[in-house]
Amino acid sequence: MRKWLALLLVVVFVFAVVGCATEDAVVDEGEDVEEVAALRVGMVTDAGTIDDKSFNQGTWEGVLLAGQDFGLETRYLKPGGTTEADYVTEIGNLVDADFKFVVCPGFKFETAIFDVQDRYPDAKFVLIDGYPHAGDWEPVVKENVVSIFFAEHESGFLGGLAAALQLQEGEVAFIGGMEIPAVQKFNWGFQQGVLYANENYSTQVVMNADNFIYQGTFDDVAAGQVLAAAMFDKGVDAIFAAAGGVGIGAINEAKARAATGQAVWIVGVDVDQYAEGIYEGDKSIILTSAMKYIDVAAYDMIKAELDGTFPGGEILMFNAANFGIGIPKENPNLDPEVEALVAEAFAALQAGTLVVSDVQGDLFK
Amino acid sequence: MKKKLIVKKNFLMSLFAVILGLIAGAILMFVTGSNPIEGFYYLFRGGLMNIERIGNSLATATPLIFAGLSVAFAFKTGLFNIGGAGQMLIGGLCATAVGLTFDWPKPILLTVIIIAAMIGGALWGALPGLLKARFNVHEVVATIMMNWIAYWTVFYLVPLYLKGPFLETESQRIPMAASLKVSWLTSLFSGSYINLGIFLAIIFVAITAFILERTTLGYELKAVGYNRDAAEAAGIGVNRNIVLSMAVAGALAGLGGATFYVGFASNMQIGVLPSQGFDGIAVALLGANSPWGVFAAALFFGLLHTGKGFMNAMTAIPPEIADTIIATIIYFAATSVLIERNWDKLNKFRLALRLRKSKQESLEDDSGGEQ
Amino acid sequence: MDYVVEMRNIRKSFPGIIACDNIDFQVKKGEIHALLGENGAGKSTLMNILFGLYQPDAGSIYLRGKKVNIVNPNVANELGIGMVHQHFKLVHNFTVTENIILGLEPTRALMIDTRSASAQIKELSQKYGLNVDPDAKISDVSVGMQQRVEILKMLYRDAEILIFDEPTAVLTPQEVRELMKIMRNLIDEGKTIILITHKLREIMAIADRSTVIRWGKVVGTVNVADTTEEKLAEMMVGRKVLFELNKKEAHPKEEILRIEKLSVAGSGGAKGLKNFSLGVRCGEIVGLAGVDGNGQAELVGAIIGLRKILSGKIILHDRDVSTLSIRERISTGMAHIPEDRHKHGLILDYSVQENLVLKNYYLEPFSHKGLLNWDYIYDHAERVIKDFDVRAGEGAEASARSLSGGNQQKAIVGREFDGNPDLLIAVQPTRGLDVGAIEYIHKRLLEQRDQGKAVLLVSLELDEILDLSDRIAVIFNGELVGLVNAAETDENEIGLMMAGGKRGATA
Repeated sequence: MRKWLALLLVVVFVFAVVGCATEDAVVDEGEDVEEVAALRVGMVTDAGTIDDKSFNQGTWEGVLLAGQDFGLETRYLKPGGTTEADYVTEIGNLVDADFKFVVCPGFKFETAIFDVQDRYPDAKFVLIDGYPHAGDWEPVVKENVVSIFFAEHESGFLGGLAAALQLQEGEVAFIGGMEIPAVQKFNWGFQQGVLYANENYSTQVVMNADNFIYQGTFDDVAAGQVLAAAMFDKGVDAIFAAAGGVGIGAINEAKARAATGQAVWIVGVDVDQYAEGIYEGDKSIILTSAMKYIDVAAYDMIKAELDGTFPGGEILMFNAANFGIGIPKENPNLDPEVEALVAEAFAALQAGTLVVSDVQGDLFK
Repeated sequence: MKKKLIVKKNFLMSLFAVILGLIAGAILMFVTGSNPIEGFYYLFRGGLMNIERIGNSLATATPLIFAGLSVAFAFKTGLFNIGGAGQMLIGGLCATAVGLTFDWPKPILLTVIIIAAMIGGALWGALPGLLKARFNVHEVVATIMMNWIAYWTVFYLVPLYLKGPFLETESQRIPMAASLKVSWLTSLFSGSYINLGIFLAIIFVAITAFILERTTLGYELKAVGYNRDAAEAAGIGVNRNIVLSMAVAGALAGLGGATFYVGFASNMQIGVLPSQGFDGIAVALLGANSPWGVFAAALFFGLLHTGKGFMNAMTAIPPEIADTIIATIIYFAATSVLIERNWDKLNKFRLALRLRKSKQESLEDDSGGEQ
Repeated sequence: MDYVVEMRNIRKSFPGIIACDNIDFQVKKGEIHALLGENGAGKSTLMNILFGLYQPDAGSIYLRGKKVNIVNPNVANELGIGMVHQHFKLVHNFTVTENIILGLEPTRALMIDTRSASAQIKELSQKYGLNVDPDAKISDVSVGMQQRVEILKMLYRDAEILIFDEPTAVLTPQEVRELMKIMRNLIDEGKTIILITHKLREIMAIADRSTVIRWGKVVGTVNVADTTEEKLAEMMVGRKVLFELNKKEAHPKEEILRIEKLSVAGSGGAKGLKNFSLGVRCGEIVGLAGVDGNGQAELVGAIIGLRKILSGKIILHDRDVSTLSIRERISTGMAHIPEDRHKHGLILDYSVQENLVLKNYYLEPFSHKGLLNWDYIYDHAERVIKDFDVRAGEGAEASARSLSGGNQQKAIVGREFDGNPDLLIAVQPTRGLDVGAIEYIHKRLLEQRDQGKAVLLVSLELDEILDLSDRIAVIFNGELVGLVNAAETDENEIGLMMAGGKRGATA
C-alpha cells in the first residue's frame, strides 16, 4: 500500500520537476510575444455563469469593451466554489499569470479582496457591490483597491415608477434572488417608486406583502418560473425580477403567457433585458429595466488606470447624479409620456430634490 | 500474498485510469484548439508551483478525502452513499453552530466542534441506513432526499440563528479560535488555506483502514457488503451493520463538512450543496474503495481543482472548457471499474497471443526439422 | 459412417481451465447416447457448443455428414437440435401453449393464432404420449409436467436431435420412469437423444451407448450392453469406486431437536410448511426426502432462523429457540451446511481463513476486545485446512472464490464441524461435487453421527438419503407424509410418498 502511495508521489514530482525545468523558457517566450508593460485585465465571476444576462455578463462586457478600445488582453476565471478561499485562489491565479488588474463583481468578494489587497500590493482590484473588510464590516480599502457601489434603490425607484405609470392600475410584485443588500435595495426602491406614482400621479397600483419574495438563489430557473406563475395567477400584472437566473424563469413564464394573449410584464434588472423578453417578432414582455451601469463602471476604472487616475482607496457610489443607474434609453413598451415623467424624476434625483431611502423602513421586507 | 497482488492490480488500474483521463483531457484541449502539453504544464504547475499552492492543493483535497472515505466505507458494506453532500452540510452546520456559540479555548472548542460534526453527519447517515434496514428503502433514494433536507435545513437555520449583522445568506465569520486554520500552518505554507483538517484526514484514513482491516466491526461490515445472505446466515446482524455503516460514513462526511466550513471556508453560505459530496464518489472509485487509495485519489483531484484556474489564466482555454476537461479526467479516472472488467479480457487476450506465439514457434521448429 | 452428429477435435478453454480438450464425439441416428462425467468434466460445455451457446476455440461439427457452423441457438434450432436445460426456461404466468410458441408465434391477421397452435400441441402430445394440457398455466403444473413442456417445445420446433441436460435431477423415481418411457417413444418416432448425466443407473436403464468424459478429455465410448455400472464409474472417476459406505449401526440416544406443529409461510408462490412435526435424536441421521420446492427450504430456514415462523415450536436442548436470533441459535449448538454454498455458505471475496471464522470471529481467542487476532485466525485456518483436506493453492490466504466447488464445500464442512455442534443441518451437502468429495463428505457425516451428534440431512438425491439416513422423513406439499426406518423401506416406497402417497396405501 505504502509502495503505491510513493509511486503516486513520484509521478506528481516528475510533473513538478518537468514543470520547473521548462519554466524559464516558457516565461521568456511569453515576454517576447507580448508587449512589456501592457495592462492585462482579469475578472473572477461570482456564482453563476458568465452569460447570466445580468451581473457577471454586464461586468465582463465592460471589461471586453475596454480591452477592444485600448488593445488589452482580457481573461475571466470561474471559481470552483463560492468560498473566500475559492475566490482568493482564482485572484491569485490571475495575478500569477500577470493579470495585474482584476475586476470582481459581488459582495461575496469582500473578505477575499481584503486578503489579496495586502498579498498582491502591485496588483489593482475593482470590487463591485462591496468593500473590503475582515469579516467585521469595518471597511479597509487599500491604495490598490477601488470599491464601487450602486444606488440600486434609485434604479429600483425608477423601475417602480415607470411600471406604475404605465399600468395606471393593477398589481405589481417582486421576486428577489438571495436576500443580499443590492437586491434588498432594488426592492425597497421599487416599492417607493410605486408609492410615489400612486401619491403624485394618482395611479392605483396595489402591492401585496405576500408577493414580495426572495427565492433564495440566483440560479433556480424553474423556481422563478413557478413563483411567477403563482403571482400571475393571483392577478399580478407586472413583476420586478431582481434575481439572476431565477428572474430568467420569471421572464420565461411571462413570455409563455404573453404568447397566449395575456397582458403580463416583467421589469428587468441590472442590464437592459428587453431582448431577453422577446416572445414574438420584436414584442417583449420587458416593460423596462432597472439598470445599474456595471459595464460602464468596469470600463471607467480600466480607463482611469490607463490614464493614471485610478481612484485607489476610494469607495465610489454610482447613482443618478453621475449617471451610474437608470432605465434604458429606449423603452418600446413605455408610453412617451411615461418616459418623460421618469426622466423628470431622474432629474430630481440628480438634483437631490427627490430622495429615495436605501433602508427598509416601513416597506415590505 | 494474494492481497498484495490485488493491491498492485488496483493501483495499476487506477494509474491506468488516470492516464486515460489525462489523454481524454488532452484530446479535448486539442479539439478546442489549445496545446495539451502547455495546458497540462500549467495545470500541474498551478497546483504545485510554490509552497502556498501545494498547501492549497492539500486544503482542497481535505474535504475530498473525507467525502471519498465516506463513500468507500459505505461501499465496503455494499451501500451506495450519495448523501455525502448533505452529511457535509449538517456536519458543517453543527461545527459552525458550536464555533459561533461557545467561547472556549481553541483546543477544547476544536475538539467539541469535531465531535459535533461527527454526530451531526452520523445522524444524517444513520437515518437512510435505518430506512434501508427497516423498510428496505433504497439508500440511494434516501440519501439523495436527505441531501435536500440538509440543504433546506441549512437554508432556514443559518439566517435564523447564525447570520451576521448584515447578510441574510451566510453565517457569521468563524472566529479564529473555532477555525481549523492555525497561524503556524498558514505561515508555513505562506498564506495558504491549508488547515488542521489535513492532519485530521490522515488520522481518519488510518483509523478507517484500521477499522476495516483489524477489527471485528470491519470484518462484519465487509462480510455484509460482500455477501449479505451469507453474513446473515452466519449470525451477523445485517440490519445493525447497515445502520452502523451508514452512521460511520455519515460521520466521516460530517467531518469533511467541518474541515470545509470551519477550515477551508470561513463561514457557511446557504443555498449551496457542497460539490465535494459528489466528487467523493469519484474519489472512492478511483481509490478502489481502499482508505489509502482514497487519500491518493483525493490529493490528485485536489491538485486538478487547484491547478485548473492557473491553466485558465495562462492559456486561452476558457473556464467552461477547463471545467469540462477536469470533469473528463475525473470521469475517465473514475471509470476504473470498467477498466477492471476489461483488464481480465486484456490478460486473456495476452494469454491467447502468447499461446499462439508458442504454437507458431513449435510449428516453426517442426518445419525446421523437416528441412 | 451414418453419424447424425459428429464433433471433431473440439477445444474450449475458459480462464484457468480447459473445459474441452480435443474432444471427439459421435452420435448415431436413432440412439440414446449418454454423455457421462463428473461435475465440471466438460459435458455441459460440449453440449452448449453443439447448441450454439458457446463457440469452440478449435474443432468442427458435422451434422448428417455436412460441416456446420452453429453460431447461436437459433441456428441450432434450424438444424433440428433442441435442448432441455437443467433449469427450465419457461414463463410461469403463461399457458403451456403460449410458452411453446414463444418466439415463433403463428399469426393470423396480426393476431396470435393460439387456437391452431394449441391443437397442434395436443396432437404432438398424444403422438409421443406426453399427456400435456396445452391450456394449463405453467405455475399450476408439476415439475415433471414442466419438463414435458420443454420437450414439446423442441418437438414443436421439429427438433430431430434432442439434448437432455441432467433431466432426472428434479424428478421423483416414478417420474423418472415416465420420462424414460417418453424417451423410448421419441426414439421410436425416429428422434436421436443425447443424455447428459452423472447417474450410472439411468444409463444402464435406457442408453444404447455412452461416452465418458473426464477432465475435458474423452475416456472412451462404450456399448452399454457390454459394460457394468462399476466399469462406467471407474472410467468416470479414474479409479475404483466403493459403492458401499462403511456404515455402522446407529445408537440413537436422547432427542435433541423437536419440531412441533411448525407452520411457515411460503415465499414466491411456494407452498410453505404446514403443521410439521419431527424429532431428531443424538447419534442418528434423519433424512428429509422430497421433491424440490415442497417445503424443505421453509423448514430449514425456520430452524436456523432465516425465516419467520407462523406458529409452532422449535425445541433444541429442551429450549424453544424459535424466537432466538441466528447467532444465539448457533451458540446453542446448531450448525448448518447450506444448500447454496455461494449464497449462504461462503463470502467468496473473503479468504479461506476469514471464511473459517465467519461464525465465531467475535469470540476469544479469534478476537480480543473487538480486535481481530490474525495470527490465531491463520493458525486456526491452517489446522482446519489440514483436518478437512481443503486444497487451496495459497492455503489460508487463498480467496474462497479461487477454490474448486468440492474444496469450498469441505471448507464449509470444516467450519461447521469445528464448532463441535450438537445438531448439524446438512442441506444438499454434496450438490455438484465429484465422487471423491461426495465420498469424503458422506464419511464425515457418518463420523459425526457415530460421535453421538444429531444430523438432519435434507437432500433431493434419493440415493443419498437412502445410503446415509437411519430414519427417513418424507415431505410433500409442506406436510410430513411419513417417517420410516431406512432399513425397512426402499426407493419405491419413498418415491410414492414423495408424490404424496401415504405409507401403506399401495404396498
